[in-house]
Amino acid sequence: MVTKSKLKMALAAEKGIDFSKLKQQKKSKEAAKRKASKEQNGEDESDLDQPGETAEDNEMNLDAIYESDTSESSIELEKKLPRKPKTTTQTLASDVADEVEEEEEDDDDEEIPVSDLEDLEEEEKEDIVPHTRLTINNTSALLAALERISIPTDKSAPFASHQSIVSATETSESIPDVSDDLQRELAFYSQCLEAVRLGRSRLISEGVPFSRPKDYFAEMVKEDAHMEKIKAKLVEEASAKKAAAEARKLRDLKKFGKQVQVSKLQERQKAKREVLDKIKTLKRKRQEHSSDVGTKEADIFDVSVDNEIAKHSQRSGSTRQQSGARAPNAKRQKKNEKYGFGGKKRHAKSGDAVSSGDLSRFNVKRMKSKAARPGKSRRKAAALK
Amino acid sequence: MAAVYKSLSKSGNEKPESSSNGVKKNKQRVLILSSRGVTYRHRHLLNDIASLLPHSRKDAKFDSKSRLGELNELAELYNCNNVLFFEARKGKDLYVWLSKVPNGPTVKFHLQNLHTMEELHFTGNCLKGSRPILSFDAAFETQPHLRVIKELFLHTFGVPQGARKSKPFIDHVMGFTIADGKIWIRNYQISEVEQSKVKVDDEDISEQAATGKSKNTDINLVEIGPRFVLTPLVIQEGSFGGPIIYENREFVSPNQIRADIRRAKAARHNARTEQTVGRLSKKSDLGLRSNGNRRAKDELDKSALFA
Repeated sequence: MVTKSKLKMALAAEKGIDFSKLKQQKKSKEAAKRKASKEQNGEDESDLDQPGETAEDNEMNLDAIYESDTSESSIELEKKLPRKPKTTTQTLASDVADEVEEEEEDDDDEEIPVSDLEDLEEEEKEDIVPHTRLTINNTSALLAALERISIPTDKSAPFASHQSIVSATETSESIPDVSDDLQRELAFYSQCLEAVRLGRSRLISEGVPFSRPKDYFAEMVKEDAHMEKIKAKLVEEASAKKAAAEARKLRDLKKFGKQVQVSKLQERQKAKREVLDKIKTLKRKRQEHSSDVGTKEADIFDVSVDNEIAKHSQRSGSTRQQSGARAPNAKRQKKNEKYGFGGKKRHAKSGDAVSSGDLSRFNVKRMKSKAARPGKSRRKAAALK
Repeated sequence: MAAVYKSLSKSGNEKPESSSNGVKKNKQRVLILSSRGVTYRHRHLLNDIASLLPHSRKDAKFDSKSRLGELNELAELYNCNNVLFFEARKGKDLYVWLSKVPNGPTVKFHLQNLHTMEELHFTGNCLKGSRPILSFDAAFETQPHLRVIKELFLHTFGVPQGARKSKPFIDHVMGFTIADGKIWIRNYQISEVEQSKVKVDDEDISEQAATGKSKNTDINLVEIGPRFVLTPLVIQEGSFGGPIIYENREFVSPNQIRADIRRAKAARHNARTEQTVGRLSKKSDLGLRSNGNRRAKDELDKSALFA
């Protein structure tokens, strides 16, 4: 189909030039040129394009030769397509208008560009609500651009060359509310998980190494210091949670502890009462039996009463210190409370070494604070005087 | 002449199949750079992205915001065919440009909900330069402009096979999802864990080891970061130039939003002051204010009658 010398063909093959595509490009270029010549203003520029293009072609061929010497990592840039130079915003606006006209079938809603409004009569103008923003969606241009840059991702190309997977279902369907973080992230996660499952099986079937062996160490995206920070953060969070739980437990215990204390006191009171009752009954019994001749020695010497008292004192007064000062009887206690208990009363309020050394009630703030500043009106009144 | 011969002989024995069946080799290089006036978070995001892309070339801040066409020359200088450009405006709004260098197209996004890897305390991690699996939402195939955007993502965020600094294993996945008219981007680590509940016999284990142990492992994902959301604004046909072939009409610029909020606040204040003025004038009309105009004396007023 293409008649060229062998050398040129080989160079083209090296560069990966598709002749049919080139032809197409040329055709489109010519069409563009024709259009430009119609518009008058683009004439000289399009003329300038032509020689520049051939020079560029030569350059590109040379580039191809150089490229063969450089490393594999070099990138083959696409051939630059000529573009109509656009200097003023007016031409842009006209371009936009043109496209809108071209794409009338795309724009289903009745949008009227502002530029068209000038032609209308006054009375018609009143009825139309102008939209300053035009809908631009030039589908054919988009598809052409896509065609130009697309790399094959279908069945023909090996999966390892692109590693992209399009999910089977639209993820937005599983997100009822975008502002619901949990649901949204779950949808993203499941989309990625599905892709990974599929991609993994395809990569393994293509014989591409997937999982990293345990002994393969290399630089990671997050370096060790960063991971250490993350770990510290996690630990801190966990410990904070634990401390909070402990504090709550203590608080609950404190609340519960008061109840326990009250109940314990009541129990003690009850036990005491019981013991006293028992003693009373024993005493009564003894008095009844005192007339009898054959009483036991234990009964004579009130052993059972002593036993009871000892038991009681053991049970209830275990905390109280047994040795030393004994607590006075109830009557004496009452009287002590009422009249005060012995000891010297003089010098009770005078200071001594301990009291003068006690700085617990000392407050720097209080010592430093001056008289409070009076309010504005009072200050004014003072100034007037 | 020797060079020509060399190239000929090379092409003759090295890649005859690639040129004959027209399959282009996926070769991409990305130039990553930002404009002046980016905040530290924008800069950190840029660094995060650069660390994920071994085929990228990071360059110094670009000085101009009006002459973006110069980026094309810059990219060609660095031998890059993709450009990822962060354009910061007013020190708070970030716009991201994605472009294929010589001929376009170019997509402009507005970037929101930015969280860098550092501020997200995620436990995931991956090899620096491992190739990601790119997971696209099905919605990317529905409309032409989304297809173009997907292709650009594939070129920019997909690490090409055999890239110079890439690592041979695959341990992370990048997710692109369309929700609410925006593109949400996430990055997860792939962690393979042993399936605990399945009891396997000895022979089973040996068999699966031979087949590549594909059955007794379960896959978990652990997020790595960063997180961000892109709203596509405009697609241009050329690279940083050319006619606009798509425009997002639903997009409201952050300036507009801020202005609206300010205006609403001002309106509230204005209404209040108006009310105050009205109340004062009403009071003075009724003669209730000392310095207002006095009420005209009524002849039948008590003070007038019984003076």
